[in-house]
Amino acid sequence: MRSSRGRSPLRAAVTGAYLSLSVVAGLSLLAGVPARAQLPTVASINLCTDQLVLSVADPGQILSLSWLASDPEESMLAAEAARYPQNYGSAEEVIQVGADIILAGTLTSPFTRELLRRLGATVVEIEPETSLDDTYRNLLVVGAAIDRAAESGRLVARMRERADAIQARAPTPLRTAVIIRPGGFTIGRETLANDVLGLAGLQNDVAELDRWGSLSVEALLSARPEFVVITRYRMNDASLANAFFAHPALRRFSAQQKTLAIEARQVACGTPASLAAAEALLEQMAAL
Amino acid sequence: MSGGPVPRRYGLLGSCLALSLLVLVPLSLWIGRDGGGPHFGFGTSDILREIRVPRTLVGLFVGGTLGLCGAALQGLLRNPLAEPGILGVSSGAAFGAVVVYYFGFAASGSLLLGTGAVLGSLGALGLLYALAGRGIDLVRLILAGVGINALAAALTSLALNFAPSPYAALEILIWMFGTLENRSLAQLWLLLPLAVPGWMLVIAAARGLDALTLGEDVAGSLGFRVRRTLWLVIAGAALAVGATVAVCGVVAFVGLVVPHLLRPLVGYRPSCLLLPSFLAGAALTLAADIAIRLMPPGPELKLGVVTALIGAPFFLHMVLSSRQRTAE
Repeated sequence: MRSSRGRSPLRAAVTGAYLSLSVVAGLSLLAGVPARAQLPTVASINLCTDQLVLSVADPGQILSLSWLASDPEESMLAAEAARYPQNYGSAEEVIQVGADIILAGTLTSPFTRELLRRLGATVVEIEPETSLDDTYRNLLVVGAAIDRAAESGRLVARMRERADAIQARAPTPLRTAVIIRPGGFTIGRETLANDVLGLAGLQNDVAELDRWGSLSVEALLSARPEFVVITRYRMNDASLANAFFAHPALRRFSAQQKTLAIEARQVACGTPASLAAAEALLEQMAAL
Repeated sequence: MSGGPVPRRYGLLGSCLALSLLVLVPLSLWIGRDGGGPHFGFGTSDILREIRVPRTLVGLFVGGTLGLCGAALQGLLRNPLAEPGILGVSSGAAFGAVVVYYFGFAASGSLLLGTGAVLGSLGALGLLYALAGRGIDLVRLILAGVGINALAAALTSLALNFAPSPYAALEILIWMFGTLENRSLAQLWLLLPLAVPGWMLVIAAARGLDALTLGEDVAGSLGFRVRRTLWLVIAGAALAVGATVAVCGVVAFVGLVVPHLLRPLVGYRPSCLLLPSFLAGAALTLAADIAIRLMPPGPELKLGVVTALIGAPFFLHMVLSSRQRTAE
């Protein structure tokens, strides 16, 4: 007696759950199309994935972006990013956003990624872009992850056309150039910046570096590249890195060379703005 | 060996420290942080179980380990300026972790990062053994530690030089500052199996440390195996400190400040200093981590930075007061 009394409310609850489930299922079958149109929501905790998701997502999908995304010195899409809530990459705040998908970089703290997974979040990790092809691939990966494959496909197709147009205008054969970053760093061959320069008809291998490192002034002076490309970053802030540009030897050198400039944030992460950097290089070369 | 009466204030000190932990632990579970700065409340059960509890426990055990190992090393070297970093254990562990990070293994899970750190601290220990030999010459031991520290720092810089991108270099640097941010139960399970045997080894050396206060020769002539004490403390500290670096990076100065503050309260007996240092190290680390979460909105400060900001002026004060003492 006791057991049956104990069981019947449970049974009623189970039956009720089945009923409500089937009602929900029936309703969503009837509703059909609107249920399909419910796009997954997304939060991003990395500057580069912030900009990828801003490029392909429906504005309604984005619940949170990293705080760097709305910094105009770091991000190409700062104004757009400023419309969304910010996060500082702590698992506690990101999990409370309740997004269906969390985008992180493969270099984002492994502890954060692991903790988010333990909390049951779907974390999509994106490799940093080291070429324009990487940029296309990442835009498609992000698009597929957030149900915006068609949009990201169209964006990538437009970008490829734009890149072809740039290449058609670029000088042949390649002209020699060197990238100088604040602090005397340069960027080597297997990088997005190198790819952008190549698209604009500039060959950047004075430093003979694979990735990034310090610029050897000796190599610079002996190679005498035709163009100096400066990547601007926080130029109005006083810093030792920017004081490097005031170095007399470098000033004398760049006074003799043709100087071009792009924004560091255009080539820090792969975005449509990376192509704008190549276009800016072409325009500046034409104006010289 | 009875070792004489336990100092009068020992019980009182222990109760005070335990009481402070009883206050700090619930506070640490209660204070969270998001983009808008600190917020108060225990949060959902998921947040409490997977974020706050692991962070609190990792903080407690990391701080406790550093306090305990600092006390044991100061007793062993009979030098109040000694701390786990001095033997190169922390920097060796940091280098091990950086190598794992640099070669990209870390992407497959942060447990590998931990394994690298523990291997690094064991490597530093092996080198220490080779350099200091089987002898018990403490000056040589400290010099070997300085050498290992320099080597590990150079190798870490080398790895940073070869980092695949500025972002990877930045991640490595940030990780080395030491932080409890976003640590989970996985890090706790990595920490405990290594740290607990480390504590045991260090505690097993307690009576030997008391004897060492009389000097190596006297301790030896009293029948103490001085070399056994030496290696118990070093192996224990390497294991336990290596594990802490593995889970939260280098947290500076806790091992220096805590034993030094407590020493007068326990009658200058190294064996009586061990447990209070564990409790006080845990309390200090937890308090620093709570302070970090109470800061105004913005990216979190790093725990290692905060403990260094507390510890460095303290260290300078110690140097000054030791000079005054010599002058007198």
